[in-house]
Amino acid sequence: MEAKTRTSYTEYKPEEISEFKIKDEKYSVIGKSVPKMDGRVKVTGQAKYTGDLKFPNMLVGKILHSPYAHAKILSIDTSAAEKLPGVKAVITHKDVPSLKYGISPARWDENIFCIDKVRYVGDKVAAVAAIDEDTVYKALKLIKVEYEELPAVFDPIEAMKEGAPQVHDEYPGNINTEIHQNFGDVEQAFKDAYYVRTDRFVGNRTYHAPIEPHSAISIWEDGKLTVYCSTQSPHYFQYYIAREFGMKMGDVRVLKTFVGGGFGGKLEPTALEFAGAVLARMTGRPVKMFYDRAEMFTHNRGRHKVVMEITTGVDKNGKILGVHANFVQDGGAYTSLGIATAYYAGAMLTLTYDFVNYKFDMTRVYTNLPACGAQRGHGAPQPRYAFECHLDHVAEHLGIDPIELRLRNARRPNTITPNEFGVQSCEMKACLEKAREISGWQDKKGKLPKGRGIGIATGSFVTGAGYPIYRTDLPHASAMIKVHEDGTAATLYTGATDIGQGSDTILCQMAAEAMGFTYDNMKIVTADTETTPHDFGAYASRQTLMSGSAVKQAGEEVKAQVLEMASVLMEVDVDNLDCRDAVVYCKSNPEIRKTFGEVARTFFVKRGPLVGRGVYAPPKLGGKFKGAPVGTSPAYSFAAQISEVEIDEETGEINVKEVWDVHDCGMVINPALLHAQVHGALYMGMGETVWEEVVFDNKGKLLNGNLGEYRMPTSLDMPKIVSELVESSEPAGPWGVKEVGEGATIPTMGCFSNAIYDAMGVRVSSLPLSYEKVWRALKEKREKEGIQK
Amino acid sequence: MYLPDFEYYAPTSLWEACGLLAQFGPRVKVIAGGTDVLPKMKQDILAPEVLVSLKNLSQLTDIFYKKGKGMVIGARATHNNLVNSPALQEKYLSICEAAHHMANNQIRNMGTVGGNIVNAVPSADLPPILIALGAVVKLFGTDGERTVLLEEFFTGPGKTVLKQNEILTEIVIPDQSFTGSTYIKFGLRRSGALAVVGVAVAVSMQGDICKEARIVLGAVAPVPMRAKKAEELLKGKAVTQELLEEIGVCAAGESKPISDIRGSAEYRKDMVRVFTKRALSKAIKEGHC
Amino acid sequence: MKAITDKNGVKRYLITLNVNEDGYTRVVKANTTLANVLRDELDLTGTKKGCELGDCGSCTVLLDGKPVDSCLVLAVEADGCDIVTIEGLAQNEKLDKLQESFVKNAAVQCGYCTPGMIMSAKALLTRKPRPSEEEVREAIAGNLCRCTGYVNIVKAVLAAANEQ
Repeated sequence: MEAKTRTSYTEYKPEEISEFKIKDEKYSVIGKSVPKMDGRVKVTGQAKYTGDLKFPNMLVGKILHSPYAHAKILSIDTSAAEKLPGVKAVITHKDVPSLKYGISPARWDENIFCIDKVRYVGDKVAAVAAIDEDTVYKALKLIKVEYEELPAVFDPIEAMKEGAPQVHDEYPGNINTEIHQNFGDVEQAFKDAYYVRTDRFVGNRTYHAPIEPHSAISIWEDGKLTVYCSTQSPHYFQYYIAREFGMKMGDVRVLKTFVGGGFGGKLEPTALEFAGAVLARMTGRPVKMFYDRAEMFTHNRGRHKVVMEITTGVDKNGKILGVHANFVQDGGAYTSLGIATAYYAGAMLTLTYDFVNYKFDMTRVYTNLPACGAQRGHGAPQPRYAFECHLDHVAEHLGIDPIELRLRNARRPNTITPNEFGVQSCEMKACLEKAREISGWQDKKGKLPKGRGIGIATGSFVTGAGYPIYRTDLPHASAMIKVHEDGTAATLYTGATDIGQGSDTILCQMAAEAMGFTYDNMKIVTADTETTPHDFGAYASRQTLMSGSAVKQAGEEVKAQVLEMASVLMEVDVDNLDCRDAVVYCKSNPEIRKTFGEVARTFFVKRGPLVGRGVYAPPKLGGKFKGAPVGTSPAYSFAAQISEVEIDEETGEINVKEVWDVHDCGMVINPALLHAQVHGALYMGMGETVWEEVVFDNKGKLLNGNLGEYRMPTSLDMPKIVSELVESSEPAGPWGVKEVGEGATIPTMGCFSNAIYDAMGVRVSSLPLSYEKVWRALKEKREKEGIQK
Repeated sequence: MYLPDFEYYAPTSLWEACGLLAQFGPRVKVIAGGTDVLPKMKQDILAPEVLVSLKNLSQLTDIFYKKGKGMVIGARATHNNLVNSPALQEKYLSICEAAHHMANNQIRNMGTVGGNIVNAVPSADLPPILIALGAVVKLFGTDGERTVLLEEFFTGPGKTVLKQNEILTEIVIPDQSFTGSTYIKFGLRRSGALAVVGVAVAVSMQGDICKEARIVLGAVAPVPMRAKKAEELLKGKAVTQELLEEIGVCAAGESKPISDIRGSAEYRKDMVRVFTKRALSKAIKEGHC
Repeated sequence: MKAITDKNGVKRYLITLNVNEDGYTRVVKANTTLANVLRDELDLTGTKKGCELGDCGSCTVLLDGKPVDSCLVLAVEADGCDIVTIEGLAQNEKLDKLQESFVKNAAVQCGYCTPGMIMSAKALLTRKPRPSEEEVREAIAGNLCRCTGYVNIVKAVLAAANEQ
């Protein structure tokens, strides 16, 4: 053990500014790869996630799940469980509100516990709270439930047929959502087209699989409920928990400590929050609920399986004249965020390429499988896969290079999509050209040795949703900044939720930049409905733009007050003052200056708290047709991805050699964190493209609900990743920012599939593009060629 | 996750351990590295009332070459012990490579070769190469010691000839005259993946004539199996690409894979063809055991 | 190993663990995993539970110097062993070079895999101070990360190695 080094403590003296020069660079804080706010606590193990928290007198609780995909509940006998020493409460539907809930207001179809029947293997039946984990598990085994098994349906096409088992009586034919959108005149476009082509693809169920399982701790005090949970949005949790229990929102406090990844799966409250709250109330003790990994898989809310048919008509130069997308989604047993997913699936197809005539038909169907919801890219990745593969076939038919075809159709800035999304900044063309250049496309396409191929795909995503998940006129984001009394620190209060992407860091950078302060002295309090101002949370890649806008405004308000105070102190006209790096200086003579700290302290002494407030609401966006709000956004990111693959002809094994991602995401607040997001998004896209698939047996039971058989790529499976950007600035975003968190997941599936087609001349039209599927496609190709010989 | 309750013993001698096995009968399970037993208990596949730990039986971890006997591998040697063993690296590098394929680094630091063999999963990575090299296993029980050819040790998925009161103590590779051996694993990702197909071969080459060969297939039958017809086809022949292709086809024909979530039977059969070819090429080319 | 049986017939075992150079004596049931003892008994919650089946590596600790999945080690099996967890890496205020490198190279996003990842990397750099990229990837192949694609993690480990 090393000898302790003595830390020396000296009296703190406010900094003297000796050398001060106004920097040449445009920005002081943003645009720099500052280290993360929470880096140190995470690398030391100090960071506590919900499952790490302990409270005095705390109980542990878990949910009892249904072993059947579809069954009537005849009886539940909890007596044996209740008698087990250490068990403090056992609850079923009789003990909880029967109000149906769900994150989609249009479809509140879920109960805390099933009342008359269970609808998927894993559906919620009861819950237990006991003194320790061991006892809880034993108690769960003692709950006796009598079921009457019902016929179940596991395929969306089958579920729509006459006579199929009905998952919800209120939704005949198992139709959860039906969408028919029609813009321009697609029929005419097809008539005018030089070439019309239809292709069919299938995207399969995958799962977010965040490494941290869901957890929630409920604590009651005097009629007030506090819930610590692994959440992407304390606000939505607070709103829906208050609604479920008929409480004032002010009496429900939802907060998070650290979250180990969300990716869309932690956006809605789960049985852990609802049942946990009831158990905590009944026992009068804090209750920690959690899911283990297998239960994470059955809780799901992951990517939908989708059957896709795309038809495109092009002119002889490959210009797209019209597109018809006809999809069917398997939504599982409940809606979750699925209605939005269903709309997003079609809405996002109009972004990267400019065409006027578009028809979108979608049916989201109920089945007796775990419910699907939002997963990184929210509905857009698989349709993008279908569209990008389809376009490569169009290009091949016309004898046009795939990148050239895309350049001819690339969206330009300041245009409007047929489904009425206004796009301001758009560097689609620049992304394509740069991707082509850095990948060496011209030297590789058609020139690689046998078994190697190169493929391209584009993608685009919203930067925050134009409308919140439930109908409300609340602004989308708000923020407060409190400068410390002696000006040595400033605390940013925001409801924005850091789930690992780094929003705490970049929002502090933005606050410091807007105030003229320093990043190093920023503190942050986030995602606590009791102390931080409202924000919708981390989803739809909204926080950099939306939360950032509110933060910028708050910072500017602080700066204005500081400059005003400084003008009094320094006897300089306020228009001749500026503040950067915590130094207030006279613009015409920078020798005249004071520290931010000194001015702030004086402000506090004379006027009281130095506080800045900001708020953001997007303008009214979108058209007036049914479903118009979904897909609206103040701004859109654009990306082009190219991958080079090598296929083992005999086994179908796909060896991804290198991936190039070029993003148009506007101004970059923190380059290191941005590229890290691209790496991660691309990694998830990769996993879903080749390896990941949720598989069930013929009774609806998960076959691979573990991280051994649900194959996420390991460090040994990764290719070289090159992440680049193009210059871009978005008028709707503070300092020109746009999203990146979900954008890089979207092009990957199409990009890989196109690369495989280039390598081997075979198209695998269902995800994942497993080795066996490639092998089979190669086999069929050889047999076809053999017959033709 | 939930581990059911059990009693725990950590005997200090083999004799004491076997005594416990005899005492508790079918209610007991042996635990070595725990990487097979504990996951099974957590997933409701196993629920032994008693676990007998081998952790105090330190004499079972050694790996050494004994003249006249052969290469001795203690049953409690972990997979990483095998990977890093200087004795194995010198004489049987193929065993080190096979051990390296198993799961991931953390599991290899705990999971033992004895546990892996006794667990008898058809897709296990060590048995095929050990069988190809003619390994025998020593079983110690209350009735005494016996030696079984590893090839005859497995009787079905999860089933072996190990008696209820016996413990597998060591694996011995007797001296033989193979000039090359190797194991190729085909999994669906590069770490933490069970074999879809595993092929181990051992060859005795004289120039380009193959005097003798052993071909052992994993994951494509209820137990690791020798492709004896394919071996016969190779015996005494000059090795050419065409011959290797023929042998691959023959071995594929002998295999009996099932379809499961990792692959269809049809795919696996063809992969037997491919990897038998590749394993033979590799073993011949590399020229080491 | 001493065992005591309470009045309900529940048997518990007396174990001593050397964790981060401190000795701890505890009484545990046989079915207690090392991960649970560390987290629940010793309040060392840096070691995480991500899957409890040895697939994700977020529970990785060093057991007698070797990285293992503590969710698959019984506490009774670890009796008398030397264990190092993430909390044991920093020396007083000073972070280990790996920890600093992870922060510096943006290798931490949600951070849940980070403790286990660092322990695996620490074990590697201890036995092989100058690993190749392939060796780094090999060493952390049993640690799943959902956020980073491993890009910056590999970068951080190599950077820490080069600094030594």
